[in-house]
Amino acid sequence: MKDSKASCRPEEARDEADGGLNMISRASIHVVAYATAAVAITVLFLGGQLGQWIELAGLSVSRADQIGFLALVVMGLVSCSFGGSRLGVMITGTIAAFIVLTAHQELAMVRYLSLGAVLFAIGIYGMTVSRNAIRMLMSIELMINAANINFVAFAHWVDPLHIRGQLFAIFVLTVAAAEAVVGLAIVLALYRNMSTVNMEKFNLLKW
Amino acid sequence: MESLNLLTALAHVNVEQGFFYVLAAIAIPLAYGVVFDRNVIRSGFLLIGVFATIAGLFFLLQAQFLGLSQILIYGVGITLVIVIALMLTNARQETGMNPALPANVGLASFVSVLVFTTIYLSLRSAEDWPLKNESSLSLPPNIEMIGKHLMTYYALPFEFASILLLAALVGAVMLSKAEPASLANAGDEAEQAVDGTDRV
Amino acid sequence: MNSAVFEIGKFARLTLLWLCIIFGAVWGVSWSIGVLLPAVILSQSGESGRFWAQLLQALVPVVAVALFVPLNTCYMVLAERRLLALFTVRKGPNRVGPDGAFQTVADALKLLLKEEITPRGADLLMYTLAPVIFFAPSIIGVMPLLAAVSGNHPLFTPVNLPTGVFYILAVSSIPVVGVVMGGWASNNKYSLVGALRSAAQAISYEIPLLLSIITVCLLAGTLDFVQIADNQRGSLLNWNILGGGALTHLGIGSPWWSIAAALLLAACCILLFALYVICACAEVNRTPFDLPEAESELVSGFNTEYSGIKFAIFFLAEYTNLFIVSTFAAVMFLGGGHAPFPGLEDACISGLRGLLAAWFGACTPFQLGWLVNSLVNPATVSQVFWIIVKSYALVWFASLIRATLPRLRIDQLMDYSWKRLVPLALILLIAVTFLKELV
Repeated sequence: MKDSKASCRPEEARDEADGGLNMISRASIHVVAYATAAVAITVLFLGGQLGQWIELAGLSVSRADQIGFLALVVMGLVSCSFGGSRLGVMITGTIAAFIVLTAHQELAMVRYLSLGAVLFAIGIYGMTVSRNAIRMLMSIELMINAANINFVAFAHWVDPLHIRGQLFAIFVLTVAAAEAVVGLAIVLALYRNMSTVNMEKFNLLKW
Repeated sequence: MESLNLLTALAHVNVEQGFFYVLAAIAIPLAYGVVFDRNVIRSGFLLIGVFATIAGLFFLLQAQFLGLSQILIYGVGITLVIVIALMLTNARQETGMNPALPANVGLASFVSVLVFTTIYLSLRSAEDWPLKNESSLSLPPNIEMIGKHLMTYYALPFEFASILLLAALVGAVMLSKAEPASLANAGDEAEQAVDGTDRV
Repeated sequence: MNSAVFEIGKFARLTLLWLCIIFGAVWGVSWSIGVLLPAVILSQSGESGRFWAQLLQALVPVVAVALFVPLNTCYMVLAERRLLALFTVRKGPNRVGPDGAFQTVADALKLLLKEEITPRGADLLMYTLAPVIFFAPSIIGVMPLLAAVSGNHPLFTPVNLPTGVFYILAVSSIPVVGVVMGGWASNNKYSLVGALRSAAQAISYEIPLLLSIITVCLLAGTLDFVQIADNQRGSLLNWNILGGGALTHLGIGSPWWSIAAALLLAACCILLFALYVICACAEVNRTPFDLPEAESELVSGFNTEYSGIKFAIFFLAEYTNLFIVSTFAAVMFLGGGHAPFPGLEDACISGLRGLLAAWFGACTPFQLGWLVNSLVNPATVSQVFWIIVKSYALVWFASLIRATLPRLRIDQLMDYSWKRLVPLALILLIAVTFLKELV
């Protein structure tokens, strides 16, 4: 199965050359997405003076946060435009943003909840975008686990006596296992009928 | 002075916090890898890494039982997923193909950023968390607590979970079982093939 | 006949030599790190050295395991080769060192100096990571066992977890990932087939294994290794393999149903032990179930492409897993560090104490007496002796099985697990629960 790689190396190289053009357009989409995301978050933070609803949310923003975000946005834009790896930029950007957002939190719980939110968002992205049905299942597992982090964090800080959050997390694990089993069986059945797991090909009900 | 806030905050990092950020800094790249890696099988292995770091987070949160069962369940479970992925994906088709559907990328990025922003803002804005500061040292071991709860107050959900698992098991077997007709055909073909070779 | 006896004698000599090397080295190093050095530091620098002393003591289990694993593997490979030779009436390795005692050391050196080859088209990251993931659990997994093995010695108490059994079960499920990873990443069809077989086998045999261990934990009423071992104190009848003391409660006047239940319970527990041994064999890929690495059909399966130090790591992990499984069985079923007959343990301890007193007691200055007392604690020595005997007996038993049984076919393997062992394990779980209440 895999050792076909060696034989079709030239094709692969051509694919990558083709992908070069695509890469640029794709990279630009991501740069825009990254920039808008970063700008959006920065604006939200700067908006402590700007909007009523931010005050409603009760945010208190230090100057350091704003500087950090501006630096992040500039860094990301510069490295993207000079051909830096898109994935690398996204990863470093996410981690740096995560640290900036959570390092000064008074409650340790909020850190864990934020990490859960980050993983959940990545899972949503993967689920929406994946071409491969199995990768989609994996993204769903990722989301379920992100939710589990929240349960356990709440169990630790809100309900340390009865740890009901952990109990619920156990039920979530069970449901996740059942979901994975049925999902894989469905993928298997689909593969048998369509001999592919490409999500684009599953369009019989589309009109 | 105000710009030093971040630095002072970072200076007061304690050990638990340090471990948390190390785990987070491992988990986030691995999660990106799961979504963006060109090879489904490798992204499966990265997913195991994500789960391992999440188990580490559970240990940090003093949920030893849950962390261990996370390892136990997902270590094997995701391996199974990978094995099925190995069986179902054609490496020749997959290589060089973008793992993402380009049509969805913009929408997906927008939605995921929106989700994160919403959750984060609601977390930030909430001020009245019903926190309880009981010292966790005097508590009984959590495995004991979990066992007690599962057998008393949560016995019914526990039973439902087992029924759900049973139903999932039966359903999976039914779904993935080869249809009898096609099986019979395959058998016939194989027999014919054998016969043919014999005749030749 | 005569030569067989001679060979057995040679094997016994080899074993004694190696066990002295292994446990002498491990205990010597952990004693000097955990007792001697802290004492020196404390006497030199007083309170300020307390932190360093505690740090050293906390490092002891890690150092002990890191030292134990390679030495033990050297011995186990040698013992296996000698035993296989014995069973098939051959000589076995007998050139390097006295009786070939250092054959495996030489082999290990050769393996470490070999060139490392990465096959073309291999996924380099996964290919490198696989041995590590396969090996790490066996290092981490030994930790809680250390406390039980050393008779809860104060140096090793910190690694004893209240949920040790569950911990080991969780950790021992990780190696499958390493196998699938290595098999897939080496870009070789044989490796891939070996890895797929291994995944299927590990998943199907894990269920009866877990069920059998859960049953023993139900019987013992705890998940703590030290407590499980302590519950089996006394004699053979108190061991979990014979129902964990059900038979000793019987008197003349006990009702017939109680006697029947106790006997049934003992029978169930023997079955349980058999179940555990079978599943453990399958989990560590030993012979009747060594399909993942079948030499004759898959050219050794998932590690075909590995060479040099990576292969050495796979090798280390495999033998360490076998040892862990044996020690686990010794603690869970065979009474841990307790002697099989009532008076034997006390006799061991008092005899050792007498010996120590005779040699070092009267005529030594105080300093030496303290050293000897902290170095050789009779109670601990007796416990360690018994658990070593039991564990290595199980390891040799695995060699015997390897020499005796042919390999199963893959469909027989799966049938055997799902149609025989899983129902049996469930029945035993229920039966033991009820019988325990009846006794």
